[in-house]
Amino acid sequence: MRINFDPRTKIVLVMSLTSLAVFVGDPYWLGGLLLVSLFLSYYFKTSLIKVLVKFKKFIGIIIGMIFIQSIFQPGGESLLSIQGIAIITSVGLYKGIAILLRMLIIIVSATILGTSNSRDIVQGLYQWKIPYELAFMVSVAIRFLPLLKEEAIDIYTAIQLRGLNIKELSFKNKVKVYSYLIMPLISGVINKAKELAISVEMRGFRASPNRTSYRCLKLKGSDYFVMTLSLVITAALFIIYINKITISL
Amino acid sequence: MARISIKNLFYRYKKSENWVLKGINFQPPEEGLTALIGDNGSGKTTLGKLMAGILKPFRGQVLIDDQATNELSLADIGQKLGYIFQEPERQIFAPTVEEELSFVLRYKGVAEPEIEVRLTEMLDRFDLRDLRRSFPFQLSQGEKQRLALAAILINQPEYLILDEPTTALDLKRKEELLDIIKGLLDRGIGITVISHDHKFAKKYASRLFTVAGGELVENKF
Repeated sequence: MRINFDPRTKIVLVMSLTSLAVFVGDPYWLGGLLLVSLFLSYYFKTSLIKVLVKFKKFIGIIIGMIFIQSIFQPGGESLLSIQGIAIITSVGLYKGIAILLRMLIIIVSATILGTSNSRDIVQGLYQWKIPYELAFMVSVAIRFLPLLKEEAIDIYTAIQLRGLNIKELSFKNKVKVYSYLIMPLISGVINKAKELAISVEMRGFRASPNRTSYRCLKLKGSDYFVMTLSLVITAALFIIYINKITISL
Repeated sequence: MARISIKNLFYRYKKSENWVLKGINFQPPEEGLTALIGDNGSGKTTLGKLMAGILKPFRGQVLIDDQATNELSLADIGQKLGYIFQEPERQIFAPTVEEELSFVLRYKGVAEPEIEVRLTEMLDRFDLRDLRRSFPFQLSQGEKQRLALAAILINQPEYLILDEPTTALDLKRKEELLDIIKGLLDRGIGITVISHDHKFAKKYASRLFTVAGGELVENKF
C-alpha cells in the first residue's frame, strides 16, 4: 500500500539526499546515494523519465565538465595525454564522475518534490514558521518557470524570423546573438514581477500580520517516522564519512 | 512577392485532443490587406503562426512560394515574411533603437553604407529619428510597435503578418498605424492582419475571413 506523505516529509528527504550529495566526494558513496534517490523516485511515482529526457541536451556539457575537472585537477595515473599534457588522469576522472553523480542525485531527488502541488509545499513551509512571503516567492518562481520557457522560445523564434540563421554564425557571433535574447527575457520578467506585485497587493497580500488557511496540513505517524529515520541516517552517514576521511589522512 | 498557400490544414496542440483548425484551405492574396477575425481562442493566432512557419501543421500543408514550411528553417522564412507578435517587447532585443534596426543586417553581412541608408529611411518613415539612441524598453507601447515593425521591414520582407496590431493603441495611434499599412500596401507588400477589432478589419481590409469552430469562412462585404 502506498502511503500519501506530507510535502514536508518529502522536503526533509530531498534535503537529506542533496546535503549528503554535496558533502560526500567518494563516487562509491555517491553511487549508493543515487540508487537510494532512484528508489525513492520510483516509490513516489515521479515523472523521472520525462525530466531525464529534458536533460539529455546537457549530456555534452556534463561530459565536457568531466574533462575540464580532469584537466584542472590532475593527479594519479595519466590515462590520456596529448604531447605530454595529461588530458585525463585517474584522479581527475574520479572527481569528474563524482560531479556527474552529484548532479544526478540532485536532479532525481528534486523530482520527488514535483509530486506535491506547489500550494501544498508553500503551506508546509508556512506551517514550519517560514515567513509566508518567502514560501510564496518560491511557489511563484516554480509557477512561472514554464511561462518563462515559453517566452524564451518565442524570443528565439522572433530573432530567427528576422532571417538570421543562428546555426551558421561563428561561435563569437553566436554568443553575441544569444546575449541579445537576454534583454527581452529580463524585461518580460521585470514586467511580470511588477504586475504580480500590484495584483497581490490589491488583493490584500500582507494586509494583516497573521494569516489563516482553510487548508491545513497534518503530519501523520508515518511522516514523523520517515523524517526521523531520514535525519538519523543522514547524521550517521556524515559521521561515518568524516571518520573515514580522518583515518585515511 | 511571397505566395502563401494552405492546403487541408489540421492543427491541434500537443496536450489537447481538440482540433484548433480543421481542414483549412486558404490562399491569401499576394497583395492587399487580408484580415483574419474571430473571437478570443478561435485559432486566429494559431493560423497566423502556421502561416509564418512558427508552428508546423499536424496534417496538411502550408506552402510559402511552393515550399512546405516543414522543410524551411525560420531564417529562410524570415527572408520572405515578416511576423509581428502580439507583444512587441518579445521582438525587441538591442539596447538602442538604431542597434535594434541594424544588428541583424550586420550579421547578414550587409555593407555599412547600405545599412545606414536603410536605417535612416526606417527612422524617418516610422518617426523614430529623435529616439535613435533611446533604450527601446522604455518607449511607449505605440513607439515599441512602430520599432518592431521597422525592425521587420528593414529586412525588406515580401509579405507581412501582423498579430493584433491595434491592441493597446488609442485612436490616434491606430490612424498612424493605418497610414504605415497603407504605405506598405502602396509598395506592393501583401499584409495579413489578425485582429479581434472587427471595426478596424472591416473598414480597411480588402478581404475578410472569420475563424470560428476551427474553420475559416470568407465574409462578403
